[in-house]
Amino acid sequence: MARVEFKNIVKVYEDEKRGSFTAVKGSSFVIEDREFVVFVGPSGCGKTTSLRMIAGLERQTSGDIRIGERVVNDLHPKDRDIAMVFQDYALYPHMTIAENLSFGLRNLKRPKDEIERKVKEASSILGLGDMLSRKPRELSGGQRQRVAVGRAIVRDPQVFLFDEPLSNLDAKLRIQMRVELAELHKRLGATIVYVTHDQVEAMTLGERIVVMNEGEIQQIASPTELYNKPNNMFVAGFIGSPAMNFIDARIGGGQALLAGGTAFPLPEAAARALGAYEGKPIVLGVRPEHIYGEAMAPDRAGSAKLEAHVQVVEQLGAESLVYFRVGERMVTARVHPELPVALGARQTFVLDAAKLHWFDPQTEQRIVF
Amino acid sequence: MRSTTSHAAGSGAARFRQFLRNYGWAYAFIAVPVLLFLVFTLYPVGWAFVISFQKYGILKSTWVGFDNYTYMFKDDVFWKSMRNTVIFTIGTVPVNILISFGLAFLIFQLKQRAQTFFKAVLYLPTVASGVTLSIVWIAIFDPTPSGMLNRLLIQLGLDPVIWLGQKSTALFSLMLMSWLGSHGSGIILYLAAMGGIPKSLYEAADIDHASGWKKFSRITWPLLKPTTLYLLVTGVITSFQVFISVYLMTQGGPDFATTTIAYLIYQTAFNFNQFGLASAQAFVLAAVIVIVSVLQFKFFSTDIEY
Ligand SMILES: Nc1ncnc2c1ncn2[C@@H]1O[C@H](COP(=O)(O)OP(=O)(O)O)[C@@H](O)[C@H]1O
Ligand SMILES: [Mg+2]
Repeated sequence: MARVEFKNIVKVYEDEKRGSFTAVKGSSFVIEDREFVVFVGPSGCGKTTSLRMIAGLERQTSGDIRIGERVVNDLHPKDRDIAMVFQDYALYPHMTIAENLSFGLRNLKRPKDEIERKVKEASSILGLGDMLSRKPRELSGGQRQRVAVGRAIVRDPQVFLFDEPLSNLDAKLRIQMRVELAELHKRLGATIVYVTHDQVEAMTLGERIVVMNEGEIQQIASPTELYNKPNNMFVAGFIGSPAMNFIDARIGGGQALLAGGTAFPLPEAAARALGAYEGKPIVLGVRPEHIYGEAMAPDRAGSAKLEAHVQVVEQLGAESLVYFRVGERMVTARVHPELPVALGARQTFVLDAAKLHWFDPQTEQRIVF
Repeated sequence: MRSTTSHAAGSGAARFRQFLRNYGWAYAFIAVPVLLFLVFTLYPVGWAFVISFQKYGILKSTWVGFDNYTYMFKDDVFWKSMRNTVIFTIGTVPVNILISFGLAFLIFQLKQRAQTFFKAVLYLPTVASGVTLSIVWIAIFDPTPSGMLNRLLIQLGLDPVIWLGQKSTALFSLMLMSWLGSHGSGIILYLAAMGGIPKSLYEAADIDHASGWKKFSRITWPLLKPTTLYLLVTGVITSFQVFISVYLMTQGGPDFATTTIAYLIYQTAFNFNQFGLASAQAFVLAAVIVIVSVLQFKFFSTDIEY
């Protein structure tokens, strides 16, 4: 097993039509040995490109990549001791499952009994035992996905690379495979780099998460830290579902003045830290689950109240999503399903004062205090 | 579709009108190709089958049972032309497939624009008529020392050859023409199939330590098998019917060295007016083609899907 390091990695694609396009803009990070790290970000942000550069399927334009102690900049994929699970699985369609699993080992001219043992091992881990003589097209999506993982396991690599491996599965299977992958990581004790655009997948699987946007790393942190201390408005909005609400506000005399006219006093620490923004615009970030109906607000929530006309209510059973407008922005509250709400009525909501985030509207960075 | 149950007691004519109103146009549209097929394909084939058992004349035909067939199987020329056809097929179809594949493989490595250029250039001969090509090749095979190919031989210090005029080289010359002839459709089909192989398979193979040769032999070639099979079957069928080049360039000679089955059928029918015998020959050719095609499918068919 091994660590993976990116040092100032830049990737510029030369495209006939678009000209040159910088897909990765100076990435640096260290993935520790045996760590499960997830790259997450919207489509086109450079996740796959980053993964392919680790694999050696794409050459970085500049910067150094290390796997273990070696600089692998110019090593061929086969010499990097990695295994990759492709988004479309890339199973060899004309080979049986057994042949798919053993192709790499056969190319390495490993002894027959070793190959057989490893194929057996991998197929029993993944429950592929009775499918070994079938062709990929005779398998379901979930089974193919397992074969793709099995092909990686058989290789016993230093680093596993996964590119959106669950994106072709239906929701139920996806959750099941998510659990299996987490177990597999424990069992193999391998370094895993996992790419997804699904923040739920990232939060549930990743020990650490690299959040990317437009080729730039936004934050590298554990799931809880991303949730509680997002670096900026992008991370704050990307992690968590429904997404964090952003409300335009001003600071004045120790008070927060929200768009639409509501005002509430700031807790002391916040008032001190936000003093520099006195009279200037600022953005308040609050997650839907930190907004309560007044009737059901816990005592600790404090006195950050606002009144609004409820526009839409979605009953989800275990909770309700209530939508209302504050200034220009639509705000979502995730409230107790038994909270009485009337469409169109004016209603008072309480924001959990301890869970408020403040952002500089210019830099979009979170104001830390 | 409207329900007709309420008219269950209605007259047959009423029901027929109802049927016409519902389906009339559909049947009218289907009728056109069906009629064309019946009149111009099925009827002639059936008729040919009938006259293959007759001594056929314009005014009067007589039944001769299997005479045409027994005569044919005892006829040296028939077996010679069968042999020529088989040699020609074995000598050209696999070679042509390999040439098409090789050219497609080379073109596939090029940039998009260069690919388009070569595809167009190599497809052009496919559009040209066999007659035109044969005329060009007659010039190439000109047996005098000033013939195109002979001049090349002389340049290389070799003796000129009477390409089409001697038994030892005539059939070979026709095969040479086929090798250097049109590979347009083969190339296009192979290129399309190559483009259809997902790139990620090669990347997976890269990670799986596959060498360039392994990637070719274990991925590219097997995944192109359906295309190869298609080219093999259609190639064999076309080759079994080779006619134009024989007709225009050698008339089956010298001494039946280039007489193919298709040319023999033509001669039997239109030179010797033996329409019954010609029909019998044609049916044997058809049977051979069907059998060979079925065998090819049996031995080479694949079930690839990706
Ligand atoms: N081979 C390529 N040539 C040109 N541009 C590319 C190529 N591969 C990816 N890109 C571009 O780079 C950006 C990042 O792509 P990618 O890493 O695949 O994104 P992600 O996996 O995060 O969705 C995208 O805008 C994509 O269009
Ligand atoms: Mg991607």
